[in-house]
Amino acid sequence: MNFHVIGRKTIRKDALARVTGAEKYASDIYLPNMLHARVLKSPYPHAIVKKIDTRRAEEIGAIVITFKDVPGRLFCPRLVSTPDATYKDWKVLTDKPAYVGEPIAAVAAETEELAQKALELIEVEYQVLEAVFDPLESMKEGAPKIHEKILLNDRVINVENNIACKLELEEGDLEEAFNKSDIIIEREFRTNKGYHNQLEPKVAVVNPEPDGGITIWCTTQTIHNTRLLVSEIFNIPVSKINVKKLALGGGFGSSIQTNIVVPIAVALALKARRPVRLAYTKEEDMHEHSSFQMIFRFKVGVTRDGRLTGGYMENIMDIGAHQIQAYPLLGTCAGWWVSLYKLKAIKYIGVAVYTNKIPSCAYRGYGNPQVTWAVETIMDELAEMLGMDPIEFRLKNYVGEGDLFWGQGPTVKSVIRSCGVEEILRKGSELIGWKNRPKPGEQKGRYRRGIGIARGYHTSSAGSPIPSQVIDYSGAILKVNEDGTVDYITALIDQGGGTLDAHAKIIAEELGLPLKNVNIVSADSQTTIYDVCTHASRGVYAGGGAALNVARQVKKKILELASNVLNAYPHTLKIRPDEERGQAVIYVEGVPGKEITLGELATLARIKNWGTIAAVESFRPPACPPHFTGYFVEVVVDTETGIVKPLRVVIGADIGTVINPELAEGQLHGGFMMGWSRAILEDLRYSKDTGDIECKGFIIDYKMPTSKDIPEEITTFFVETYEPTGPFGAKGLGEGAQNPAIAAIANAIYNATGIRFYELPITPEKILEKIREKEKREPMKVVAEKLIDE
Amino acid sequence: MIEVTFILNGRLVKIQTEPNITLLDLLREELRITSVKRGCETGECGACTVLLDDKPVNSCLILAPMIDGRRILTVEGLTKDRELHPLQESFIEEFALQCGYCTPGMLLTSKALLDLNPSPTIEEIKEALSGNLCRCGAYQQIINAILRASEKLRRRLNYKP
Ligand code: FES
Ligand code: FES
Repeated sequence: MNFHVIGRKTIRKDALARVTGAEKYASDIYLPNMLHARVLKSPYPHAIVKKIDTRRAEEIGAIVITFKDVPGRLFCPRLVSTPDATYKDWKVLTDKPAYVGEPIAAVAAETEELAQKALELIEVEYQVLEAVFDPLESMKEGAPKIHEKILLNDRVINVENNIACKLELEEGDLEEAFNKSDIIIEREFRTNKGYHNQLEPKVAVVNPEPDGGITIWCTTQTIHNTRLLVSEIFNIPVSKINVKKLALGGGFGSSIQTNIVVPIAVALALKARRPVRLAYTKEEDMHEHSSFQMIFRFKVGVTRDGRLTGGYMENIMDIGAHQIQAYPLLGTCAGWWVSLYKLKAIKYIGVAVYTNKIPSCAYRGYGNPQVTWAVETIMDELAEMLGMDPIEFRLKNYVGEGDLFWGQGPTVKSVIRSCGVEEILRKGSELIGWKNRPKPGEQKGRYRRGIGIARGYHTSSAGSPIPSQVIDYSGAILKVNEDGTVDYITALIDQGGGTLDAHAKIIAEELGLPLKNVNIVSADSQTTIYDVCTHASRGVYAGGGAALNVARQVKKKILELASNVLNAYPHTLKIRPDEERGQAVIYVEGVPGKEITLGELATLARIKNWGTIAAVESFRPPACPPHFTGYFVEVVVDTETGIVKPLRVVIGADIGTVINPELAEGQLHGGFMMGWSRAILEDLRYSKDTGDIECKGFIIDYKMPTSKDIPEEITTFFVETYEPTGPFGAKGLGEGAQNPAIAAIANAIYNATGIRFYELPITPEKILEKIREKEKREPMKVVAEKLIDE
Repeated sequence: MIEVTFILNGRLVKIQTEPNITLLDLLREELRITSVKRGCETGECGACTVLLDDKPVNSCLILAPMIDGRRILTVEGLTKDRELHPLQESFIEEFALQCGYCTPGMLLTSKALLDLNPSPTIEEIKEALSGNLCRCGAYQQIINAILRASEKLRRRLNYKP
């Protein structure tokens, strides 16, 4: 297709502000006369607040709130699922903290220092309760009860055995499928608890307005859900709450839910009747959110000729102390599994379990990277057992075009209409040199190289042809200015990938505008229509769909008005971008002189009182098409230190029409780095002694990849497909960009060492231990320790 | 309260402040130079990087009195007469940013590198950047941007009469 801006290299619209330091993030908002807030948090993983005395803090002039001063009704901070699928167990401030770091009280004072001082003057008497950190322990009889009663929508639910929620699914006759299998594999996998480490810690700045309303500037992936939640908690009409849209210093899922700093700052501002700023430190941020930690048990059957038959999956999810819509995740984990490879029969049991740990939320991929790691490990193992090439085995079984896809869970189903899986795998294997990869476990010597492959996908949005348990739609407003530019107004937040640039290109393409004539203007929840949230890789697909449809409406109006001016039929008119004049030109083909620029038309429309050319669109995506990716990773393992390094990485992707090639490539690079981090480095380990994470929130003890950890070579490519339901054929990318990374890295480590790892992260210590076990090597003598001894 | 005098982006600044305040707080909270980003505040992420007498430092680890009589550069000072520094141009041209939160720090670390070493190797660049985290994972693009900027700067030098 011949596009004038889509697919072309263009400069990011926000780049100038970002390189000059002019970009405003929530953390950059300071209001006149504002107070600074600090939050008092539980030092115990499980306790009851027996007594809390705030007098001394108030005596030095601080505004103090405790659980007594905030609405007591339970809520859920994430509002993506429908109410009937939403469990609520949160309070703004609690008297029964269930993890180290749970907010108990908060103060606001003239300076942050004073607020801190006030915080230290609050006296709390705790009754310390027994805590539990392991989901399997937590489900046992006699384990400490973390929640007694929670709500499902408005219905009271008694929590039994610390089970937060459950989902069971069954399709087909699994017993028969297993009976017909020649090989049945059973495996258990354990994932890590990861921390998003978006560079910008959470912030909320709240201004109480004279009319009882409030204005909020905060770190968020959704301004509309933030205002809905604040309205729900504080019983303030939605329309009185205005949430400003700002740049986001990284999200990765950590701000899909409304961060707890928001309601705390709101409560303080309402009490103080003054603006309040609450900025979490990194340590506090690390105690605020993390990924879900899962234990998977799989049983999968296959016939001798390499056809998968049926599968059983158990998913025990450690969700930490509170639910951030864990229920839909139980559904997507099943979905991620069954939408990878065809199974005639399945049984799935998903259980979300409370523990006394930091609450878990979505983390780039929403369970998909973890499930894909397990499934792609099993696929590799089965291929080896069958003596088949792992790529051919995958191609024989994958879910592709024409198949039903339900990655987003059992209520969100749609048919796959575009699929580049085969091309990704063929081209990628050529680029990495798949045929020449080593045989697993055959290498000797200190450094061993290995090549691993994994494939995956993610949904683009959670749209579907019929209503589901997930809310998914976007909104757009577009108006034409008298200078021939258009103002694009959307609530959709860019997490950093350049989503709004894609929207601008879609609009420019549809309207025949030079790209620079599309202005992405500042917005807030008052001036925009609803957009659910930037998650589920939906920005380009769903948000872009709204942008395209609003542009179509505007185009229709432009052509109607121009037809009057040019005395031609509207449907015969064309629009072309005239870069020289910097205008879109509406013209009659083949009739010289019959043309008008968009600027002239908009000006004429004003003078003649025809009105403003503008439109509004609320758009529900009709499907959730998967975008597909394939990872090919070559690593080298140092068998004496256990250190793994990435050498060459090839990533192929099918994202439909590529709107911004350079930005899409950036997503793949970033996806690999994050996948590397989750495969090798990251884990929020708990100390039973302190009941806190071992690193205490300091990133010095929570290693993250730096510039030195990038692969020596990284090659990316996009295969050509066209998604009929997407804007100009486009699909999403942000999550698929990462999903198969962990699996490919793990498979590469296996290829190098002949050892499979079933627990994340695959740290040097674990690698070393297994190598020693396998090769019966003596541990290296630790010279330094000896020196100290002597 | 103490008085600190220093040069910020070429301008003399005199300010009364607490002696235990960090340079990060001084710049952000007192002077509202918000391009200096607050990240970990423990010297690990580099989001708060500024140049102190041309050397990159984590401003969260520097106390205000330590800058008395010295020069500080933030990204605001990279732009001269609304003209972008070649590094800024190159970061744009190479798509070396996503969320942009690490960008000011990355730019300043890169500037210090190129000032000392106008033609760095990739290894030298990786080494120089290793104290600046980019969670969006734009390292490769950032390296490309620095290489491009280094070339621009060299070309510029050659054109000097
Ligand atoms: S904020 Fe200074 S190094 Fe992270
Ligand atoms: S661009 Fe987001 S942290 Fe670097």
